[in-house]
Amino acid sequence: MVTFSNGYLVDNLADALKIRSEIDVTPYAGGTDLMVDAKEDAVYLFLNKIPELRRIYSDEQYLHIGAACTYTEIFENSLSPQILKDAIDYLAAPAIRNMGTAGGNICNASPKADTALIFYVADAKLRICNTSGERILPIEDFYVGRGKTVLQKDELLVEILVPKQGLEHYYYKKVGARQALAISRVAFAGIFTTENGIITRCAMAFGSVADTVLRFRDLEALFVGKSIAEAKSIRSQFIANYEQAIVPIRGRVSAEYRKSVCMNLLEDFLTQNGI
Amino acid sequence: MESISKSIPKRDHFPKISGSAKYVDDLSFEGMLHGKIVRSTVACADIKEILIPDLPEGYFVIDKNDIPGINSVHIVDDDTPVFSDGTVNYVGEPILMVAGKDLKVVNRLMKLIKVVYDEKEPVLDMMKSETIFYQYGYTKGDWETAFREADKIIEEDFQTGYQEHTYMEVQGMIGFYENGKSIVRGSMQCPYYVHTAVKRAMGLESDKVQVIQEEMGGAFGGKEDYPSILGCQVAVAAYKTGKPVKVVFDRSEDIICSPKRHPAKMHYRAAIKNGKITGIDADIVYNCGAYTTLSPVVLQRGLICATGVYNFKNLRVRGKGVKTNTVPNGAFRGFGGPQTFFAIEMFMDHLAKEIGMDSLSLKESMVVKQGDDSATSGKYHFHIPFPEMIEKLDQMSDFRKKREAFRNQTGRYRSGIGLSLVYHGCGFTGSGERDLIKGVVKIVKNTDDTVELLTAGTDMGQGLKTAFAKIASDTLEIPLERIIVQNPDTDRVPNSGPTAASRSLMVVGKLLQRAAEKLKRDWKPGEYQEFVEKYVHPDFMIPWDLSKFQGDPYPDYSWSANAVEVKVDTLTATTEIVGAWGVYDVGTPIDMAIIKGQMQGGFLQAIGYGSMELLDVNDKGVIRNNSFSDYIIPTSMDVPHLETEVVENTYDNGPFGGKGAGELPAVGGAPAYVEAMENALGVNLHHTPFSQEDTMKVLEAFKK
Repeated sequence: MVTFSNGYLVDNLADALKIRSEIDVTPYAGGTDLMVDAKEDAVYLFLNKIPELRRIYSDEQYLHIGAACTYTEIFENSLSPQILKDAIDYLAAPAIRNMGTAGGNICNASPKADTALIFYVADAKLRICNTSGERILPIEDFYVGRGKTVLQKDELLVEILVPKQGLEHYYYKKVGARQALAISRVAFAGIFTTENGIITRCAMAFGSVADTVLRFRDLEALFVGKSIAEAKSIRSQFIANYEQAIVPIRGRVSAEYRKSVCMNLLEDFLTQNGI
Repeated sequence: MESISKSIPKRDHFPKISGSAKYVDDLSFEGMLHGKIVRSTVACADIKEILIPDLPEGYFVIDKNDIPGINSVHIVDDDTPVFSDGTVNYVGEPILMVAGKDLKVVNRLMKLIKVVYDEKEPVLDMMKSETIFYQYGYTKGDWETAFREADKIIEEDFQTGYQEHTYMEVQGMIGFYENGKSIVRGSMQCPYYVHTAVKRAMGLESDKVQVIQEEMGGAFGGKEDYPSILGCQVAVAAYKTGKPVKVVFDRSEDIICSPKRHPAKMHYRAAIKNGKITGIDADIVYNCGAYTTLSPVVLQRGLICATGVYNFKNLRVRGKGVKTNTVPNGAFRGFGGPQTFFAIEMFMDHLAKEIGMDSLSLKESMVVKQGDDSATSGKYHFHIPFPEMIEKLDQMSDFRKKREAFRNQTGRYRSGIGLSLVYHGCGFTGSGERDLIKGVVKIVKNTDDTVELLTAGTDMGQGLKTAFAKIASDTLEIPLERIIVQNPDTDRVPNSGPTAASRSLMVVGKLLQRAAEKLKRDWKPGEYQEFVEKYVHPDFMIPWDLSKFQGDPYPDYSWSANAVEVKVDTLTATTEIVGAWGVYDVGTPIDMAIIKGQMQGGFLQAIGYGSMELLDVNDKGVIRNNSFSDYIIPTSMDVPHLETEVVENTYDNGPFGGKGAGELPAVGGAPAYVEAMENALGVNLHHTPFSQEDTMKVLEAFKK
């Protein structure tokens, strides 16, 4: 462990969790958000030399992405699903992609987080540890509001668990103010799967619209178990449900604009899947 | 291509690319203090009281009472205070400076200072302003008859927004006071503007003020007037503290309080008779902000450009610059031209639809040519290469074919292509070069036969040092390595005028060429020699009369034809710029790579002005878009296919045939972009920036 005037650099997870349990520190992975508005008196726990946080590997069910893996590392890894690569390809610019991390993107808890949207729609889970053990929870349960998560003072996000199956058939669109270095104004990700003509999954997530990424599992359920033709027959009801459910907030762009884009993309997603 | 046009490495290339160049922020001096400025947080108020905490040893507050001369910054007029005189007129107006050794302590003290205001209702809407700073107008032909006898009169309103310079290097200055002499060094376009301003504020004679330009990381006009204000402030601070005082802004402070492009509202009328435009009547308002700064000249240029590149027989143009309780607006690449050029180019497109022509045919049929009278009853004295420029542009972009093909589209993606024809008048507006600037240059030959060029011209990245060196080297027929060009220091260089108005190369470059010709004729190896050359007004010009607003405002013009192609995604209302093509006449390019760089950068900046660069004040007069997350400028990824070409049309009164170049590309991008959006969406559009949200509103209106 190396101690700096502004924090601690550790080389293993156990030491990191120990510091986390003893001292009030700000976890620092890539620093691309923290450095924008650096606090003079902050004490950081630097995470980028911890091997347990830098691995990408898969087991039978999940792809495990270490929380301190950079976007570039994820993008260049052959195990990463294409939907995630698409999001990273349009995230900030190469310099930031070389420094910023998926764990930071999640823990920063911005509804605009480009990779968090993908983890939402992919039913990803988060492995969170402290000195006494771990807990695994769906990403939706991690967020309490804008900038707020359930991560405790003694915990660290260690891995993101992305299901390996069923992400092949996807739809992704990010709307930024320009073609590069763009903060998302609206982002939409959808995953659609069928088995023997029956819809098994119709997942949709909306980013940059509300205080957290939005996903409505109860509304998605309307299509599950139905044939394409059946889904088509209730398409207008399905859309009307979302029309009611999505209530965007205004920010750099108006709520009306966000709503229009969300609904247009949702409808296009359905159309492209034959509904 | 002329041999002088062949590109060489720019003189500032290696220092800037390697990082060895030293900017104001990199400089440090013995005992130097750091200053930060306490600024008004309200748009209009009298200051009742300022509560200042006890200051630690070595920390100072500097305000209006510390000014030894007059509390006024000379720009064109003298209404801008150095520090607030007891009232504030915009959010961000400087009230006082805190200076001391440790910037952290200075920042802490800043937060402890309380300003108590007696607030008044601010005027934020330019159309509601009752204070007219400047007003001009002119007519040509018999506009009244044209409108009286018209078959049809078309009226439209146009609006253009703010634009922020976003130079990479923010504003920064260092002041010194040594042995009764005030020295100011920093990032600036016009050392003698700062010199004049500091003299007045400090109450000193000319020889007691010295101004030195440091390496500059961009300006775009934003460092034409503002350094005079900051220069006076650091001069006063150094005088009070007896130490060097440095002030360098952070980005949000820079956006909040430095000048921007004037927002404009423009009402246009056209008289149509027998399918022809017989008269134009334009009524123009520019929002000056709280103080006048450079507004009179910006407005003059705007009005001169109001009828574009077309030969209208009958016209009336009126315009005023009004006060609002917002940050004073000032110089920005194009200097008043981009606003009115946007309006007239869009108006021509709309009029073409009324008449039943395509817009390029209408424009071509009315475009000015050599020998024509100008709008202000001057003359276009030289060849205007629009026919060959339009042909070249059409070859590059396939404009005519695409424009036709993009009518009446359906489907998710809609393509559009737009075109603009514009000019930029070269040199200071009106009789400024003759009556106000009276530029002087000096050229010195040292005993080692190196030659130093002494001018007040500054290199802000636009390549002036390189261009001047090439002109001298080619004239003297000596190697470039023997030509010395340093950053100007008013103790050493004569006043060759401001680095502005696309004048440096054409006017100052020509003076240098003349001086170099004299030196060449009289060259005495191994001897020290010097030659001084003074401005001579071209005798072919029709004298400019500001009171009538008539005559030749410029000796010559640079011309450009621009096309932009877009693809609109109707689901997201986002626009992809498929291509951007520009053809320029800047006389002989003195360095082709520099010219191409200027044209590409300027074009991109102008497309930003037309599309995404949105900045505004809220109902309290506060600029909210004060960071790069909120003020969006285009990246090279936004216009990946950007092609520029030049046509060579030499200007005999410029050095090697060169004329103004730097501002030209900033003029035509916005109308070309917005015309492309019209083509894609099938509607008439009237404002910049035309944003994603504006596109969505048009698309949603179609659905209803």
